[in-house]
Amino acid sequence: MTIIPFPARSPRRYGDLVVTQPMALEDEADDVRSLAERLVAGEEAALEAVYDRWSPLVHTYALRALADPHDAEDVTQQVFVAAWRSRHTLTPSPSALPAWLIGIARHKVADVRAARARDADRLAAVVSLPGAHELHQSADEDVAEQLVVRQAVDEMPDPRRTILFLAFWEEHSHAEIAERVGLPLGTVKSHLRRGLITLHRQLEGVRHESR
Amino acid sequence: MSHAEPDQLAGLALDPDDASEAVREHAQTCPECAALVAAFTGTRRRAGADALVAPPAHVRDRVLADVRAPAPPTAPPPVVVRERRGVPAWLAAVAAALALVAGIGLGRIGTGETPAPEASDPTPVETDDGGEVVAATALTALDSDAERGEASVTDRDDVITLRVRARDLGDEDGFHEVWLINVDGKRMVGVGILADGDDGEFKVPRHLIDDGYRIVDISVEPDDGDPTHSGVSLARGELA
Ligand SMILES: [Zn+2]
Repeated sequence: MTIIPFPARSPRRYGDLVVTQPMALEDEADDVRSLAERLVAGEEAALEAVYDRWSPLVHTYALRALADPHDAEDVTQQVFVAAWRSRHTLTPSPSALPAWLIGIARHKVADVRAARARDADRLAAVVSLPGAHELHQSADEDVAEQLVVRQAVDEMPDPRRTILFLAFWEEHSHAEIAERVGLPLGTVKSHLRRGLITLHRQLEGVRHESR
Repeated sequence: MSHAEPDQLAGLALDPDDASEAVREHAQTCPECAALVAAFTGTRRRAGADALVAPPAHVRDRVLADVRAPAPPTAPPPVVVRERRGVPAWLAAVAAALALVAGIGLGRIGTGETPAPEASDPTPVETDDGGEVVAATALTALDSDAERGEASVTDRDDVITLRVRARDLGDEDGFHEVWLINVDGKRMVGVGILADGDDGEFKVPRHLIDDGYRIVDISVEPDDGDPTHSGVSLARGELA
């Protein structure tokens, strides 16, 4: 069986959460829940693990929402410091962590936008534009969900990760994928179905928790 | 017919031609299964985002530095949220004994046979041992103006003594530690532990006061062996 190293994923620099073995959904959920519990208990190592796992998600979200690398770094910093200081508000559940972090990031992004509007003395113009806020919000939510999906696929064990990338990102046919990864067509389809269900649950969890 | 399996519906969302006739028909008539197919299709459309971009390493350093630093005195009072840790009774006793020894040691330095602080006037101009009060402050809670006692600095023969008389510090688990925070809000030094009730005396280098370490802060510290400020301040006041 040939596993195509696609796309290149930079190795995590910190932490011990790199998934190297196929992991059952339930184990993964327990993993995230216990990380949340350790964070709530005030364990600094848990904050580091949370940072290492979700700072790319938060940072990319801020980058997309603010289109400024400096602001995105500031927001990322603020989100994790705020997360630590308000950790008692987190109710540990499998998808609570990313949902909670994105919720905090949304507020910080809104703060930056408000500050920009003030700086440019354009606040009046912004608030008088009906629906501008809602526009931002729904665009931000789309971005957040796309990034959550991206991370979920990134974290899948191979060959599922590669198969999903070939199908959903590169738009290859199932037969082409089977040939490239050297697996029977039925196995490829099974990975895609299971992968899609996993992504769906992940998104549902994030949507539910961030409400 | 019972509902279709999520696996079958995911297959339908991925490729309608792949699904069996029965599943296709059911999904066309069953609102629940149709909704799930629509949700899978929506999820599929969420794919395609570029790779996530990790923040530069210095952001991580800043987060950890912010988290480890005590809240600056100008910031709003730190939220007092302390998860009570299950400290075994024997360990708590050892820590309390250590705190007591440390407190006595500090308290005796330079003060000789000083009488109990309660014996002296609350805001003395001349202390019993003849030191001159060069600065003093009322101590208050951070989240209200509630009085928490007072602190003063005496200067006798070039020995600077910080005298703290606190009250109503509460009964949260842990011991009370006294800090001097610089008025720049960036630096602080721990001067000792309130070992005997809520009062204590601490000899401090003169240059600390001169350098701006004038904010007296009393924290509650868990018996966790971490020498840094817990971030939970019970009382504060600026010497003037
Ligand atoms: Zn049904």
